[in-house]
Amino acid sequence: MEERQIIEYDALVIGAGIAGGEAAINLANTGYKVLLVEKDHSLGGKMILLSKVFPTLDCAACITTPKVSEIARHNNITVFTESEVTHIAKKGDNDFVAQIMKKPRYVRVEDCTACQLCEKACPVSVRDEYQFGLIGRKAAFIPFSIANPKAAVIDIENCTLCGACEKACPTHCIDFTMETEYYELHAKTVILATGFNLFDPLEIPRFGYGQYKNVITSMQMEREIAPTRPYNTILRPGDGKVPDRIAYVLCTGSRDNTIGNPICSQICCMYSMKQAQLLMGALPMADITIYYINIRSFGKGFEEFYQQAKGMGVNFVKGKIGKITEKENGNLILRYEDIAEGVVKEAEHDMVVLSVGVKSNPSAGKIFDGNSLKLDPLQFVAQQDFLGSPAKTSIDGVFVAGTASGPMDIPDSILSAGSASSEAISYLTRYQSL
Amino acid sequence: MSDSFKKNAKILVFSTEKISDPAIDMAGLLKLHYPPTVYTITVPCSSGIKPSWIMHAYEKGFDGVFIAADGTDCIFGESCTEKTGNIVAMTHEKMKEKKIDPARLRMAALCSVCSEAFVKQMRSFNDYLIKTIHSNSN
Amino acid sequence: MKERLGVYICHCGGNISDYVDVEKVRAAIEHEEGVVFAKTTMFACSDTNQTDMVQDIHEHNLDGVIVASCSPKLHLTTFRNVTERGDLNKYTYVHANIREQASWAHSDDKLGATEKAIHLVKAAIAKSRYADPLFPNQFEAEKTIAVIGGGIAGMKAALSLAEKKSNVILIEKGNRLGGHTAEWGSLFMTDEKGFELTTRIENDLRKYNNVTILTGEEVIDTKGSIGNFELKIRRQPQKEDDPMEIMELHVGSIVVATGYDHYLPKQGEYGFGTNETVITLPEFKQLVDKSTSKSLEFKGKKINNIAYVYCVGSRQSEGENTYCSRFCCTSVIHTAIEAKKKFKGIQNIHLTRGIRTYGKQELLYAESLQMGDVYLEFDEHTLPEIHTEDKKTVVTVKDILSAGKEMEMEVDLVVLVTGMVPRADQSIGSMLKLPKGRDRFFNEIHMKLRPVETVIDGVTIAGTCQGPKNISESVNSALSAATKSFSYISKGTLETEPIIAKIDQDACSWCDKCSNACPFDAIEQIEMGGRTVASVNPIVCKGCGMCTPVCPVDAINLIGYTSEEIMSMIDALA
Repeated sequence: MEERQIIEYDALVIGAGIAGGEAAINLANTGYKVLLVEKDHSLGGKMILLSKVFPTLDCAACITTPKVSEIARHNNITVFTESEVTHIAKKGDNDFVAQIMKKPRYVRVEDCTACQLCEKACPVSVRDEYQFGLIGRKAAFIPFSIANPKAAVIDIENCTLCGACEKACPTHCIDFTMETEYYELHAKTVILATGFNLFDPLEIPRFGYGQYKNVITSMQMEREIAPTRPYNTILRPGDGKVPDRIAYVLCTGSRDNTIGNPICSQICCMYSMKQAQLLMGALPMADITIYYINIRSFGKGFEEFYQQAKGMGVNFVKGKIGKITEKENGNLILRYEDIAEGVVKEAEHDMVVLSVGVKSNPSAGKIFDGNSLKLDPLQFVAQQDFLGSPAKTSIDGVFVAGTASGPMDIPDSILSAGSASSEAISYLTRYQSL
Repeated sequence: MSDSFKKNAKILVFSTEKISDPAIDMAGLLKLHYPPTVYTITVPCSSGIKPSWIMHAYEKGFDGVFIAADGTDCIFGESCTEKTGNIVAMTHEKMKEKKIDPARLRMAALCSVCSEAFVKQMRSFNDYLIKTIHSNSN
Repeated sequence: MKERLGVYICHCGGNISDYVDVEKVRAAIEHEEGVVFAKTTMFACSDTNQTDMVQDIHEHNLDGVIVASCSPKLHLTTFRNVTERGDLNKYTYVHANIREQASWAHSDDKLGATEKAIHLVKAAIAKSRYADPLFPNQFEAEKTIAVIGGGIAGMKAALSLAEKKSNVILIEKGNRLGGHTAEWGSLFMTDEKGFELTTRIENDLRKYNNVTILTGEEVIDTKGSIGNFELKIRRQPQKEDDPMEIMELHVGSIVVATGYDHYLPKQGEYGFGTNETVITLPEFKQLVDKSTSKSLEFKGKKINNIAYVYCVGSRQSEGENTYCSRFCCTSVIHTAIEAKKKFKGIQNIHLTRGIRTYGKQELLYAESLQMGDVYLEFDEHTLPEIHTEDKKTVVTVKDILSAGKEMEMEVDLVVLVTGMVPRADQSIGSMLKLPKGRDRFFNEIHMKLRPVETVIDGVTIAGTCQGPKNISESVNSALSAATKSFSYISKGTLETEPIIAKIDQDACSWCDKCSNACPFDAIEQIEMGGRTVASVNPIVCKGCGMCTPVCPVDAINLIGYTSEEIMSMIDALA
């Protein structure tokens, strides 16, 4: 067995998205030592990759980066990126033992200046997952421009070990001898903030995603309109044309029993309307149509945002999309049932955005001893006392924050994280010697 | 120099951190346009503005001064409305002495979401000032 | 006077540089007196730039830093902290807002926006020259926290604070705890009844001896600020002749959890008040909960067909409640299912404006459809109508779901699905000066990332006083608010801003005008070298500046807003 370094913290927070980050800050500000474990290369989860947020239209990067900096710099928070919690055993009250695997980045973060010379030198091009495949990246790369830590990573899966990056690096921070490190963590409480997975529209072949180039996901559109966007304008991937008839297909992968997800994803109506408004700003001549079943603008300022979208001229069509087909010129024909008129219709658009929904990330269920962590039928972390203490899980001392327990928007994730950290502080206090 | 700088009046706005600043910021967020010759100096409360500052602005070439008063929303207490009113009265005295049109000082209460009201105020103040400046210079 | 200033001008991705020529701004100000360097940056707030700033401060031996970026509401603290990490006093930092007040406000006029940005940065440089190091005033904070409102949010906030060993005072105006939740019957997801839930929490709460529960008591006045609030509480007289009892409480922080009112339909709105078969959602929930017979009866008549009219008092296109009340779709569907299960012969007809059973609540809607509930949909322009024909209640609606067909149906009961409205009694909000949003609910500091904090330091908002929420959302909000309130004062000492009034005591010859102008009694009369002069108590002074214009000899200035600073800014803007 590998050698394990023994470490000790008051709290383990799994997942450094906006919920995990908020929970960690709350604990740290109250004086507790927190280990924040993130499997990805950067803090900030999905929020840091967004363009703007609804309904304020604040730029997501502008409000996320300070939060992320605060987390990264906090004296009471230690961050492990590229790391996975593989197993947690509860030995008793206030006594959890977690096994953590920290994968090598092959770059010494503290020495890297993010100069990007390694990127230029690297001969390998692969799909850029942070731009959701819209463009490529190198095997030696900086994840994205506002990533934290902002340092290069070597994608060892795709690396040819040619050594070009090592030669190009002015600070000699690339180190291929780095190995996986193993830790045994002793912590008193655990917060699960493992987030959600985006629905993969390949599961609905009739929408043609992956087959028709001008059918993209909402997350790809999010990147196209973000300030740190891959192209300098909005264009359709098929031929680089600027689109002028854009369609949104709501409930892609939500409220749909045929793909096993009967629930509503809570965020898609709002982010689609947000994108529509931003697109109307960027492409004043474009027609934007949102195909919906019900518009769910239920939060603070959301209904007003919906009315604003209508007022700006976004076209709302109540209808479910049956099938999408592609024309020779790359345009797309949407076949749908127009509910207002009760007839099946067809409409032509030059770009289609699939408003993909929220699926559970069931990974947390596997790490606890003997399935002691209960999941709900949709594989979200089950809430033991849904009304009275929504952050409590089936294990005393383990709390859930954010979308790990179900779909949520950003403010609800923050509130849920506040709730989880409050429960964790209470739990820590309960066993504190007087 | 841009055209808007030539054709618009120069207006100095005294706004407040907690109440009118958010409204002015929100006007920007909502892209509610007003002349770019409107400048804001932030103070904690509108009843802390000294008449000498306002007079200094006219001396330095500002066409108008606008006090975005906290009114009843003031976080420092209800006396704000009356006190800000007193400042305007004191300044008007000084303006009279210097033969400055008293209408070049305006005050209105702006709440923290009064973005549209702010923009309306700026446009109408600008219109008034342009008219009077032109008639004076002709 | 500062002489080594560093200036950063932010692109903000494009939010600024798409409209303001940031290079031109940089070139225009780089030779200003005292400016050592000026640079542009893609995101001033990014970690990389923050690290660069710290390095620059050391390398160039700066004595002042200026960032021109977004509103200081977002990043003033961020950059003050950066300055501190560069071993400079954080008050030597000056911020210029060239996004909300230049690039965005004047996105229609790029040249104008650029000119304005140049002047704004020059004014910031002028201010920076006077921005001296300042040191906060430290003082002891009360470690007790007050929670105002004893509904589900207030109770949970108090309970979570009690668990953290904090002293808590829970103040409820009514005579019992539990708020509206205690009046609801069965609740969605768990089928626990409202009063069972609130009783469970109340029992937990009463186990703690660090909790004081005051019912029938009302906050009538508040004074002070974070760390030292003073609440005046009035005991509601139990009998007419009881004397009024007033007591004073001292607390360090306040959680406001004053809840909502049910929307009360206007007389005649959908037949409310004129047709006795028309009731509201809370009345219907009580009816279903309290009825024990096999069939549902209302006013002696058996009920079979029930029409539910959604969005009453919410999503008004004409009227002030433009918002969605969020909880009602789920609440009414849950109760309709319960009625169908509990009583014989119930047929539910839902007249909706689009069902909003978001998230997992969708499963409830699916269940309702499976049980045969009928759903019709109307739009805001053609509302359903309710009239009486031969003492029978008839509902007509144009149904969007069947291509706008006019439907007419006879029903035994009409349930108006009423939403949430802000409390009619806004006294707590007025006393604490809490800002309200367009929807008239209390406003948080930032909708996305700071949903429970308010602009008033030390005061947090929990539950539905901030906006409509269901129970678990209210609880999450309550626990978040409690955690923030707890972390404000848990250390026992607090620091206040050093931005306070400063008196030139050589010029002062005590006339009491300033002390009369001070709303906080922060100015005292003292003897100094045989003269009577005014003196400012630095802990009580809140830095409003109200004393400054009234001084006949101009001997008072507000630190950070002195006449020298303001006039030099005016010079730079002119």
